[in-house]
Amino acid sequence: MNTDLNMKVNVLPVYTYNFLKVNDSNIELSDISIDTVESPAAAELPQGVSVKRGISFDEAGEVFRANKDRILVTTGVPGDPNGDTSARDSEQAVRTGMGIDADKLFISAGAKSEVYTVEENAKVEKPVVIRFDMKDGKGVLASQVIHAKKNSEVTIIMDYDSGADKEAAGFLGVSTRILAEEGAKVTVVKTQLLGSRYLHFDDLGGACFEKGAIRLVSLELGAQKVWNGSYINLAEKEADFTSDTGYLCRGEDKLDINFVTDHRGKKTNALMQFKGVLMDKAQKTLRFTIDFKNGSSGSAGDEQEDALLLSEDVINRSMPIILCQEEDVDGRHGATIGQLGEDLLFYMQSRGIDEEEAKRIMIKARLDSVARIIPDPELMQRVQYYIQNII
Amino acid sequence: MSDNKQVVADIDRSLYDFKDVESEKDFYRMAEGLTEETVLKVSEEKNDPEWMRDFRLKCLKLYEEIKMPNWGPSIEGLDMDRISSYVRHKSDMKGKWEDVPEDIKNTFEKLGIPQAERESLAGVGAQYDSELVYHNVKDEVAAQGVIYTDLESALHGEYADMIKEHFMKLVPPTDHKFAALHGAVWSGGSFVYVPKGVKVEIPLQSYFRLNAAGAGQFEHTLIIVDEGADLHFIEGCSAPKYNVANLHAGCVELFVGKNAHLRYSTIENWSKNMYNLNTKRAVVEENGVMEWVSGSFGSHTSYLYPMTILKGEGSKMEFTGITFAGKGQNLDTGAKVVHVGERTSSHISTKSISKDGGIGTYRSSVTIQKTAKKAKASVSCDSLMLDSISRADTVPAMDIRTSDADVGHEAKIGRISDEAVFYLMSRGISEEDAKAMIVSGFANPVSKELPLEYAVEMNNLIKLEMGGH
Repeated sequence: MNTDLNMKVNVLPVYTYNFLKVNDSNIELSDISIDTVESPAAAELPQGVSVKRGISFDEAGEVFRANKDRILVTTGVPGDPNGDTSARDSEQAVRTGMGIDADKLFISAGAKSEVYTVEENAKVEKPVVIRFDMKDGKGVLASQVIHAKKNSEVTIIMDYDSGADKEAAGFLGVSTRILAEEGAKVTVVKTQLLGSRYLHFDDLGGACFEKGAIRLVSLELGAQKVWNGSYINLAEKEADFTSDTGYLCRGEDKLDINFVTDHRGKKTNALMQFKGVLMDKAQKTLRFTIDFKNGSSGSAGDEQEDALLLSEDVINRSMPIILCQEEDVDGRHGATIGQLGEDLLFYMQSRGIDEEEAKRIMIKARLDSVARIIPDPELMQRVQYYIQNII
Repeated sequence: MSDNKQVVADIDRSLYDFKDVESEKDFYRMAEGLTEETVLKVSEEKNDPEWMRDFRLKCLKLYEEIKMPNWGPSIEGLDMDRISSYVRHKSDMKGKWEDVPEDIKNTFEKLGIPQAERESLAGVGAQYDSELVYHNVKDEVAAQGVIYTDLESALHGEYADMIKEHFMKLVPPTDHKFAALHGAVWSGGSFVYVPKGVKVEIPLQSYFRLNAAGAGQFEHTLIIVDEGADLHFIEGCSAPKYNVANLHAGCVELFVGKNAHLRYSTIENWSKNMYNLNTKRAVVEENGVMEWVSGSFGSHTSYLYPMTILKGEGSKMEFTGITFAGKGQNLDTGAKVVHVGERTSSHISTKSISKDGGIGTYRSSVTIQKTAKKAKASVSCDSLMLDSISRADTVPAMDIRTSDADVGHEAKIGRISDEAVFYLMSRGISEEDAKAMIVSGFANPVSKELPLEYAVEMNNLIKLEMGGH
């Protein structure tokens, strides 16, 4: 089917000055061809993991709706932040980074979800690998729910690749929703090596119960326009979210990100790190928020950005937000944005490395630091080879 | 934290909350509400030149068209139909303190303004409700060619063209709804011109007092610091508390010339029924320096983000601010900077304290345009939460459009550190004293930027009564 997309996504948790044009992002795409509304199957299903295929998007969200009171636990202390936008996404089964309009697209397109369930106490060593073979001209909407039961451990790898066709065009929209029950640990790896004319969005929503943890490793290395959202709810005590995101934007690429960690439980912990490079006429907008709700005492949140700008024509926008309604928390943000430091260049040149080579080394260093975390050796090598080739 | 909690007291407002009853005999008060008739009446009262009257009407139209902001604190409690845009004493502005009407004089005496003028200021302007009631500049400063006068006089005198050239050019009425409102009903405020190369050694001060209940104050401050000149301007604001909403929608436009230096210090202590929707903006030419020192303590609701446009090559900006949001207050404050020229630099450093259900929001934007090669910008914002019923939010934004820039940002939110208290206690300091020291130290970066007399006033404002039980 062919469809027009008109969505408002990646809405900031709180609005700020309108003149900055960062409060949200519009996906306005006409005549998008979508030929598949089902996610590819996992190559192999390790023991301890089962899957139900062909579940409607809405029905697949039932596990979140059944736990909504637990996920959205509140102390009842009043006081919303100024410019609060939370009401907008309140109808979602679980809140996601891109928000309600992404859910509406999946529902209206009749998308089918895959629901992966990890058995209680299962420590699944072998990753679940879902490969998206995105050849030129393909249009795919894919959604998964990952339900990790108590004390289970699992790694899900989602590999978006256009193969040798570096200029492939197409559309890939993905929604991933995760529930990590008590003590469960879910690692999600998303590597995006799509062709340079691809349009792509990747939406993530998740909730962690007591001592539940979500670990996200994502690399956005291809595609022309990318929207990436993540909203993780640390609902109960000692829940944890760690993310490492690497990106490379070249040509006239546009990357639009919205990451939110919602701390509700006590002693919850979040670390969000973004490392990336902008070249040519690329544009990047990064919104990242730590939200300490009342009741999240003893929690810590840290958001860090390191952006390397390598062209006069790039546009870099960053909104590092910390919202806080709890006294006993530790919230931090740090950002370093700019070109290669003169000291570093001087040091490199003094060792016989010219400026271009120094840039290549620094791009590789940033992206490799994320690629190295990929727990699948074959994929890690493929990503590193891809990085090596493009720089 | 243990039950043995620190108690950090609210700001002691008794110094500012005294009220003087304004009788009909002595005061002229315009009817509440905002209409074309009201605006024309203000214009008539001010004896505006024709261009200004037309400008006011244009602004009123804009005010009606522009939407309320969707991003800041709620201003639903502000009903313009219940706000009088213009209240003035029936006497004229005076150049001698002894000529100021007794009731107004008493007010400013209580606030210590004439004493400050005698001891530490080069000139003073005092505005009471909608009009300046007193303006004076020391002879030696006037002899240097420094102009410090009320804006209305300047509008009709030899500086009329200069006013017309600069008035609301930096803050156009299209900027936002309350800039348009300001343009429609502005009244009072000061005009300062410091000629080329003149360095004013001691500060000038304007003090704004809104005494009337249910009224708005819309003063306009226009300062031009010419090439190589130097000025420190201090602005103070206060009002007694009423049970009805008051509105302050002032506007400050600052023009800092080549190699010039301007420091603009504000101690804002409006009462907690005040909606403080103020706009401040500076443009800085080549190698000029703009410094803001800002203390926000009062108001029910504040929208305050002084903005600096670093236009000239090598121009610099520093912003040092503190905000104390207590019970019933929603203070949304911060700073904005736009780097246009090459080798421009900016540093924003803010501190915010929230307690007793107060909402403190730090909001900022740093924009580095493509032309701002080798620009440097750094932002550091710290928030201290003193309980768990308050809010401390930081909402910064950076928009960088050249690779040849160096931008750093740091933010921290937390409470009084147990480790720091433990360290001080291990040195023989009691827990109460240790916590008091930490809170005072937190505010210190701002107070040390103020002249001694004002630092003392600020310390009075943050009367941090520490005590354990």
